[in-house]
Amino acid sequence: MNILIRELQANLKSLTIWSTGMIFLIYAGMIKYSGFAGAGESVNELFNQFPSAVKSILGLGNLDISSIAGFYAVFYLYFMLLAGLHAVMLGAEIISKEEHDKTADFLFVKPVLRSKIVTYKLTAVLFNILVLNLTTLIASLVFVDMFNTGKAIDNIIFQLMLALFIIQLIFAAMGAGIAAVTKNIKKATSLSAAILMTAFIISVAIDLYKKIDFLTYVTPFKYFPAADIVMTSSYKTSSLIISFILITFFTFITYLFMDKRDIQI
Amino acid sequence: MNVIEIDHLSKYYGKARGIIDVSFTVKEGEIYGFIGPNGAGKSTTIRTLLALIYPSSGNARIFGKDCIKEGPNIRSDIGYLPSEVFYYDNMKVIDLLKYSASFYKNIDQNRIYELADIMDLDLKRKIEDLSYGNKKKVGIVQGLLHRPRLIILDEPTSGLDPLMQQKFFDLITAENEHGATILFSSHILSEVQKLCSRVAIIKEGRIMSIEDIKTLRSNNYKKFKIDMDETVSDDYFNIDGVANLYADQNSFSFLFKGDINKMIDIIHSKKINNLIVEEPALEEIFMHYYEKEA
Repeated sequence: MNILIRELQANLKSLTIWSTGMIFLIYAGMIKYSGFAGAGESVNELFNQFPSAVKSILGLGNLDISSIAGFYAVFYLYFMLLAGLHAVMLGAEIISKEEHDKTADFLFVKPVLRSKIVTYKLTAVLFNILVLNLTTLIASLVFVDMFNTGKAIDNIIFQLMLALFIIQLIFAAMGAGIAAVTKNIKKATSLSAAILMTAFIISVAIDLYKKIDFLTYVTPFKYFPAADIVMTSSYKTSSLIISFILITFFTFITYLFMDKRDIQI
Repeated sequence: MNVIEIDHLSKYYGKARGIIDVSFTVKEGEIYGFIGPNGAGKSTTIRTLLALIYPSSGNARIFGKDCIKEGPNIRSDIGYLPSEVFYYDNMKVIDLLKYSASFYKNIDQNRIYELADIMDLDLKRKIEDLSYGNKKKVGIVQGLLHRPRLIILDEPTSGLDPLMQQKFFDLITAENEHGATILFSSHILSEVQKLCSRVAIIKEGRIMSIEDIKTLRSNNYKKFKIDMDETVSDDYFNIDGVANLYADQNSFSFLFKGDINKMIDIIHSKKINNLIVEEPALEEIFMHYYEKEA
């Protein structure tokens, strides 16, 4: 329990910063939307003139961004990027920092099983990503409601946030797994962030070249496309299964490698 | 009873040598020295005992239990002071010590204040604002606050000023009198000589010898450096007990073991410019020590 409290305290400042950033992003987005909503159909016409590459990178796709659901779904891409980055870096950092900051000779000589230390750390990660998710949820509900003139989209927001949480879990477990496996612990966090950015770029590339859509399963950014959720109100079963496998696999890897690891400082 | 039993322990980092075939035992209530030059494998041995790293072969037992398999269990009775101390920078000293205490059962919180008082440690400061010596003090307090039965010290005196070193030695001696067993790693022979009953000497990953401290003391070498004011022959100082004699014009350096008065007489009979008598570095002792054995 002491380790959990310690980890929550240690990450409080960073969690506050990430959450504030998220709130600001949503607020700024909704202010933009209020501008779009006034312009109506002409906004869609404007964006339709953009090259498809630009539209893909902006996450526009075929969504009607003059409707609040469409606009919010576009925004969802940035939530994934931000929350994913938070999760992957937190996962990598929390596992690697004892060796990185050379505090390993303090913590790992205490009378505690290594697996227990990992459990407390992962619990702290879970708490952090949950808080960021709930912050995103509440800020979305509040700000969407503030600027929405049509019918409420609370259900869509709830569904997107649940999908976001699954994405966060995948990236957090991935970060932790990478940190547990990497020999050069100093690189764990930057390596994790690099993998996330690669996954993001792949997801954009898939939108550009339909031929490589077999890569959909490689990048978690493609597991729960916002457009699908907005239109069908459901998740793809295959995505849920892959997510479950990835989260389990990376968590298992984290325990396995941390248990066998030579702690170097 | 043996508190530490190390049995043919080897550790390789990939192909790089850590330690090779290290064996020694430390008895209950003993202050055991572990000496060798930097990079000899002292820390590797200690870190294996603490299950921070895993042995490539061989095994080690503490309190009769396997130090890897029963690591967490054993470690509740071990206090460890690492050679380089690093703690969570943004914590206050008192918070770190309380955090450390929270890992052990039946902790007497007053012990923190008692130890901090002895070591003259300010509990209210942040870790990141502490000097290296002060961090070392935090390390000492955190290593001793749970009254461990085994205290493992890896280069404990580096960074401490002489006054603090003395207080620290007093503290360790007191713990030992209360029944704690101590493994004391150092590259400074004189501090090991002061405290320990036996020493294991490690070099390039292998235990070279295990000595009673009395034997080492009888091999008590002094290092002499002399600048002569008048010319003498190169083997002027080559009397019984002199080793590693180097002569460069009128400057001489050598190790001497034996009756110091004999040497003083020889020096006294000539005019000299400068005279330095010091403890030889461990390396120098080693060199002579093993030349003799070979």
